[in-house]
Amino acid sequence: MADLTNGAVTVDLKGRIDSRNAADAEAHIQSVLDGKTGVPVVLDMEELEYISSAGLRVLLRLKKTNPDLRIINVNSDVYEILDMTGFTQMMKVEKAYRVVSVEGCEEVGRGANGTIYRIDQDNVIKVYNNADALADIQHEREVARLALVLGIPTAISYDVVRVNDSYGSVFEFLNARSFSKILETEPEKMDWCVEEYIGMLKKIHSTLVPEGKLPDMKETALNWVRFMKDYLPEDAGEKLIRLVEEVPHDDHMIHGDYHTKNVMLQNDETLLIDMDTLAVGHPIFELASMYNSFIGYSEYDNTAIERFQGFTLDIGKQFWHKALAAYLGTQNEYRIREVEDKARIIGYARMIRRSIRRKGMETPEGRAEIELWKGELLELLEKTDTLLFARNELEIGADVENLQEVLDFIDRNLEDTDCPPRARMQIAVAAEEIFVNIANYAYAPEHGNATVLMEVSEAPVTVTITFMDQGVPYDPLASEEPDVTLSAEERRIGGLGIFLAKKTMDDIVYEYKDGRNILKLKKNL
Amino acid sequence: MLNINKTIEEGKALFALEGRLDTITAPVLEEDLMNSLEGVKDLTLDFEKLDYISSAGLRVLLATQKIMNKEKGEMKVRNLNDTIAEIFELTGFAEILTIE
Repeated sequence: MADLTNGAVTVDLKGRIDSRNAADAEAHIQSVLDGKTGVPVVLDMEELEYISSAGLRVLLRLKKTNPDLRIINVNSDVYEILDMTGFTQMMKVEKAYRVVSVEGCEEVGRGANGTIYRIDQDNVIKVYNNADALADIQHEREVARLALVLGIPTAISYDVVRVNDSYGSVFEFLNARSFSKILETEPEKMDWCVEEYIGMLKKIHSTLVPEGKLPDMKETALNWVRFMKDYLPEDAGEKLIRLVEEVPHDDHMIHGDYHTKNVMLQNDETLLIDMDTLAVGHPIFELASMYNSFIGYSEYDNTAIERFQGFTLDIGKQFWHKALAAYLGTQNEYRIREVEDKARIIGYARMIRRSIRRKGMETPEGRAEIELWKGELLELLEKTDTLLFARNELEIGADVENLQEVLDFIDRNLEDTDCPPRARMQIAVAAEEIFVNIANYAYAPEHGNATVLMEVSEAPVTVTITFMDQGVPYDPLASEEPDVTLSAEERRIGGLGIFLAKKTMDDIVYEYKDGRNILKLKKNL
Repeated sequence: MLNINKTIEEGKALFALEGRLDTITAPVLEEDLMNSLEGVKDLTLDFEKLDYISSAGLRVLLATQKIMNKEKGEMKVRNLNDTIAEIFELTGFAEILTIE
């Protein structure tokens, strides 16, 4: 019997091959291979019970004419023969997969591509959704190994088994519990969970991945939003694509499905599982999928989270908010919401696409959830101009004495760029003006804080510095420009700072929003 | 930080500035100038070692120029680096001050 799949010829061998029928078996194999020179040959031994030395000689001759010969599904008796005779060293021999049942086993995790079950005290199995999962398993093993080498604590499977009509990867997991389980059963440990969970996330996001080793999340997101385009008003669809296109390439790792079911506590160690979505990219894509898993999927059906995570939507919301605050290192609600809104844009796009692909448009519930998410997405698109967010923040007393600290903060963040001294001074002059204005006028005669956010994007390299305060509303850009053509006698003293900032920055925008003065300086380097 | 190295002789004053002329240091320079300018008819500000000037520094320069004009004295600024020279251009200071 022969089957030509994936460009290889597979020949099934059954029963026994010994000196009495070896010649027949060889003739059978040759007849299948006839006229297929150069095609890789696979011998499927699933139903082979015994092979004698006469049979082994057939394999040797076959190997000579087909150097890439592969033997698969070898049972343990036949494998022993091949191993003792050294054949496993000479050619590619793959054992038959052990068959395992997960019936009645506790589900301990669930990811995009499979479900994880505990099969006994020490082991879990990830059962893949896709029946033809061997390539997926191979991929996940490779990326898990890569992550481990790069310093990310994760589990690597030690065996592949058959589970019903699919495959499973077996992992050793002693006393491991997912963070979802901890949140469900011991909600008082939430703050501790947030700290561990975000510590791990920061570790992932600060890991540089060698080029080409992992897929680029931006490409994946671009596929989502291009798919989405036809379901949105034209200008909204175009804006969505532009927002994703403008996210700079980033070679840092992202997990891709980072929710609390995929983070495990084993003894005292925090471990990552479900590595098949590992990618490189900007953290906004990670935050998007996190938002979905804690809140997004439950916005239409608020029981969805409990079915998926085991804990309530209320716990999910609390956890997400605390986690995002910890990730951004801020308690500034305005800022947390700003980043959340950016994450939601990608999050909704992803959920809508997923629902449509699952024939959501064909059922009333599907259409209702798509409509809900689409409404939110359109509203967000209206008010969002970039998916980038500042990852560096300085919260500081708005006092003139703190000027040097503000300028040092900005300088530190410019160090990694090739910012020429000229631009560096122009940025400092503009920043000094804005900060001193806040220090002198925002809260006087009281005191208050200013927040400085700094963000450097690539290609083109653009520095964005945002100043925020909660003082009296004041738009410094509205002041009258000085006439720089007057003589020294006629010139008024002052007003030059804002004028200089306008001249030397590429963009300055002021808005008063949610009780805050927000002033953004942008400089292209 | 701003270091001010000054020499004053027979109505001539030289202020060599080193470091940063910003919101924090500009008032220090302004006070020093106001206390030193009596009888000075020829003031030179040397910017060779000045790295940075913000609008607060420009204010002091303009205020000092106004005083010198009133006193019928002369004021010169010399050895500007390129970035500071550009700021002088943008603000019109290149026209109203005497640059060497």
